[in-house]
Amino acid sequence: MALFSAFQTTFLLALLSLKTYQSEVLSEPLSLAPESLEVSIDSARQCLHLKWSVHNLAYHQELKMVFQIEISRIKTSNVIWVENYSTTVKRNQVLRWSWESKLPLECAKHSVRMRGAVDDAQVPELRFWSNWTSWEEVDVQSSLGHDPLFVFPKDKLVEEGSNVTICYVSRSHQNNISCYLEGVRMHGEQLDPNVCVFHLKNVPFIRETGTNIYCKADQGDVIKGIVLFVSKVFEEPKDFSCETRDLKTLNCTWAPGSDAGLLTQLSQSYTLFESFSGKKTLCKYKSWCNWQVSPDSQEMYNFTLTAENYLRKRSVHLLFNLTHRVHPMAPFNVFVKNVSATNATMTWKVHSIGNYSTLLCQIELYGEGKVIQKQNVSVKVNGKHLMKKLEPSTEYAAQVRCANANHFWKWSEWTRRNFTTAEAAPSEAPDVWRNVKSVQGHCVVTLFWKPLSKLQANGKILFYNVVLENLDRPSTLKLLSIPAPANGTELTLDRCSYQIHVTANNSVGTSPASVIAVSGDPGNKEVEEERVKGTEDGFCLSWKPQPGDVTGYVVEWCERPGDPLCDLQWKNLGPNTTSTVVSSDAFRPGVRYNFRIYGISTERIPYLLEKKTGYSQELVPSDNPQVLMSNLTSYSFTLSWKDYAAESQPGFVQGYSLYLKSKAARCLPGSEKAVLSDDSICCKYKIDNPKQKTFVVENLQPASFYEFFLTPYTSVGEGPQGAFTKVTTPDEYSHILIRIILPMIFSILLIMILCYLKSQWMKEKCYPDIPDPYKSSVLSLIKSKENPRLTIMNVKDCIPDAIEVINKQEGTRKSLTETEPTKPTYLYLLPTEKSHSGPGPCICFENFTYNQAASDSVSCGHVPVTPKAQPSQLGLLTSSENVPKALGKNYVNSLGEIPAGETNLNYVSQLASPMCGDKSSLPTNPPEPALCSEYKTQMAIPMGLASPPSITLLDEGEHDH
Amino acid sequence: MLALCDLGLVLGLLFLSTPAMGSCLDNYQELLGQLQKQADFMQHTSMLLDPYISIQGLDKDGLKEHCRERPGVFPSKDALQRLSRQEFLQILNTTLGHVLHRLRTLQKDIPKAQDLEKLNIAKLNIRGFKNNIHCMAQLLPGSLEKTEPTPTGPGASPSPTPISDAFQRRLEGCRFLHGYHRFMHSVGQVFREWGQSPSRSRRHSPRRGLRKGTHRTHLSSRNKRLMPRGWLPR
Repeated sequence: MALFSAFQTTFLLALLSLKTYQSEVLSEPLSLAPESLEVSIDSARQCLHLKWSVHNLAYHQELKMVFQIEISRIKTSNVIWVENYSTTVKRNQVLRWSWESKLPLECAKHSVRMRGAVDDAQVPELRFWSNWTSWEEVDVQSSLGHDPLFVFPKDKLVEEGSNVTICYVSRSHQNNISCYLEGVRMHGEQLDPNVCVFHLKNVPFIRETGTNIYCKADQGDVIKGIVLFVSKVFEEPKDFSCETRDLKTLNCTWAPGSDAGLLTQLSQSYTLFESFSGKKTLCKYKSWCNWQVSPDSQEMYNFTLTAENYLRKRSVHLLFNLTHRVHPMAPFNVFVKNVSATNATMTWKVHSIGNYSTLLCQIELYGEGKVIQKQNVSVKVNGKHLMKKLEPSTEYAAQVRCANANHFWKWSEWTRRNFTTAEAAPSEAPDVWRNVKSVQGHCVVTLFWKPLSKLQANGKILFYNVVLENLDRPSTLKLLSIPAPANGTELTLDRCSYQIHVTANNSVGTSPASVIAVSGDPGNKEVEEERVKGTEDGFCLSWKPQPGDVTGYVVEWCERPGDPLCDLQWKNLGPNTTSTVVSSDAFRPGVRYNFRIYGISTERIPYLLEKKTGYSQELVPSDNPQVLMSNLTSYSFTLSWKDYAAESQPGFVQGYSLYLKSKAARCLPGSEKAVLSDDSICCKYKIDNPKQKTFVVENLQPASFYEFFLTPYTSVGEGPQGAFTKVTTPDEYSHILIRIILPMIFSILLIMILCYLKSQWMKEKCYPDIPDPYKSSVLSLIKSKENPRLTIMNVKDCIPDAIEVINKQEGTRKSLTETEPTKPTYLYLLPTEKSHSGPGPCICFENFTYNQAASDSVSCGHVPVTPKAQPSQLGLLTSSENVPKALGKNYVNSLGEIPAGETNLNYVSQLASPMCGDKSSLPTNPPEPALCSEYKTQMAIPMGLASPPSITLLDEGEHDH
Repeated sequence: MLALCDLGLVLGLLFLSTPAMGSCLDNYQELLGQLQKQADFMQHTSMLLDPYISIQGLDKDGLKEHCRERPGVFPSKDALQRLSRQEFLQILNTTLGHVLHRLRTLQKDIPKAQDLEKLNIAKLNIRGFKNNIHCMAQLLPGSLEKTEPTPTGPGASPSPTPISDAFQRRLEGCRFLHGYHRFMHSVGQVFREWGQSPSRSRRHSPRRGLRKGTHRTHLSSRNKRLMPRGWLPR
């Protein structure tokens, strides 16, 4: 009962309280109007910040309220913004609300008022608006200062593509203000007489330092402006991804967007938020962030990456299971073990990624840069893989990487190891061929072998063993070891038959033997050579199959045919092969290659089957033959070029072309008209037989001029253009003349020879030798008288008292050289006084000058020159006709004036043999020998020096030489 | 290529005289020639002004006309010519010190490294020039204590009145650089006059430096009058 009484009391009190409350609310309308409204501005952000409170709420009372806010511009009636702001209100709580103006706040006066209403379902009856607050005015212009012009907003930062409103505020009414954006005038709307507004739409990015917008007054130097910093669009992060390598740390990466492009980079922040755990971290770096995995085995992660700058915020999301994003660490402790010639084992370890995780590992084997084996292996901790079918003595590289086998995400990095397999014995016999020559009764065998390929050698070949087995004496073996890298050897054998075994050896073992036999009988029968035509692909050779047992065929050729080391090549072919294509990079156009095809008998003895020759590409002849012409007649001549080596030409010579030029308009039979490279026309003879080396050009015209030129031709064309040889056919009667003239010439020659043979006889008859004064009988006469005073005088001793000299006039001398040279002149020195102071009577021989030219002239006699009337001059007779006259006068007279007993002998010097016909011109009275005689030296004067107009008589001293 | 040539010329001019290395040329004519060449070189607007105008987008009609030197910021040519040699060197040294400081503030508005390099070369040039001024002052009788060689590091300098408006800031920077080049042109002419008057006229007579007592007072008042507006003499 007491309990019931207490409960009833409590209920009544509560009801009373409620009644009281209701009576208060209903009795007088609650004044839940916003109070203490304050408005502040943020010019940089162009924001109005409102701050108010509601005072009339009960203590601890919370009500949902809505506030209606009106913003007017310039005047209160011009309401530009109305917004209802709902929030929960407590008693005396300061409420805040912001509004961003499109128009810079400095451009116009703004006014703000508001009213409130309860918007709470608990008290639906209170849903009515309170009274408006009074207008709160925001007038920034009044605090701008006294500058004549302002432009707003200052240093605004926007994204490209944004719309921006700009205004200027002018203090002067008189000035016209014009505004420009980067030098381009803008047109705006007048907000009031002092304020003009410009609406810029979709502003572009111009430069890092911002866009210049400025306004100028017409008068004065007033300029004001702003810099509008236009940034590039802030992009969201790309390729956002998270992964773990050890299940302890998550590494999240992304590609940040492009830079804002501004000089002052907008600070960007990157935040990582995980929604399941509610954790958040601010990333230090702009492209990656680490996240510690929670130890409570959280599997699912839902990340939000938020990139933010001053202007924009962008987010990307990522939801994943941790075990699906495992990127294993690279395998470690990787080794290649048990490396043999063909096998190797690779072992490695992996980092564990959980107790139950299995890793899938991939092994790749590289040989010569290529993947040759690829294998996948499941691994818990330790991995092992056997690599088979390896090549001996080969370098390999093995690498391994791993990934989560259950949920593949990414492979780990490769871990790589290199190794080389061991060597093995060579697997193939060397390819051997031989060249056999017979030298001085011995058989000189040159063995060639090709080096084994890497796959065949299985290691480094150290040496080759050559075993010579004498087939006639099977017990006789000879072993030669030839160190590598030799590729052949020369053996001198006797006439016996040999079988030669060649093996290649490396450090492990020996290759199979290559066997070739040398027969005592060379057996090289004469085989006719055939021509083959080469192509770009090589020479296609074929041969007749051989009856009987043939173990194979060998084709042999020289790659450098002109070289003494001809670089012998060969090609082994099977017994069923009868054709092959021989190709080589060494084949050159214009070179003749000779191929020999051998059959290999069962005894391994090669025997020559066929010979082929050909060019890989024929060329035109490189030179023309030297052509000799013979048998020239009035109607024909013969050409021959037997020395021409057609085999050395860079193609098979198929014949010759003879070009003949003549004045005749028509070509002779057997020839045809041809046009030469110089557009001249001639006749062409074609000689189809390459072996023909002579040609007779017939049907020519006598006494005609011809030109000919001969050139060989191959299948490609003719030889080089050369010079034409000229020939003129003789006249038809010239041979008759020759029959007459030749005997005449012969007869004349015969007579001349006879004359020459009889010349001694003629000389004796025509001009006998001049006696030597020293051998003269006069000397013997003197000696016989034994007169010591009588001796041969020296020049010094012989002082002529007077000399009669014949003066030679210049004109006279000139006439000598110009007139007939066959008339020689002679000079005589004649004494003119009888008395002299000499030692006694003597004979003087004196010739003052001698004209060499005159002596060389065809003169066969000497003409004495008679002294003339003028004694101091020498004179020359210009004609033999004068000789008798001279002799008739002075010469004879002089002789007559010489007194007896004092007779001086005047000797005439002999210059040349007189002509037979001039014999009569000799002096009729030859001088007689005297007691004293002297012969003075003759002085030769060259023609050039023999030109003085007069010859002065030399004195005594000048005569002495 | 042009930049390289400029750099080579600058370095050549700087290191022909070696005050930066701690010693001065003691040949008056040679040093004067160096100062003339350096002033002539530094007056070229291609060194600073032209790139600045281009970078800041001031190369527009109607805008670049306002990029003119404000009177009073730099001493006029007449004012420089009226100074004695010692006074001239002191004013020059002080003014260039302020220029260096202002260039450091302008550096923030230059985005490209290539243009920054140009600015750094200009600063290096000014430092070398100041060192040569110091050397010249020592050659003159009654050398001035205030023309001390430029320290290699950034020196403390009064900061100009901060301008919050970016547009006005870049316009002022442009005007400042215009004035700087004009000033260096005037300096070059004054140095040239020095070379043309070897008798050292009364106006630029170094002997006036000897009369320290009376001159110092007079110089002080004159320097104050010539100080750039907004800057305080050291």
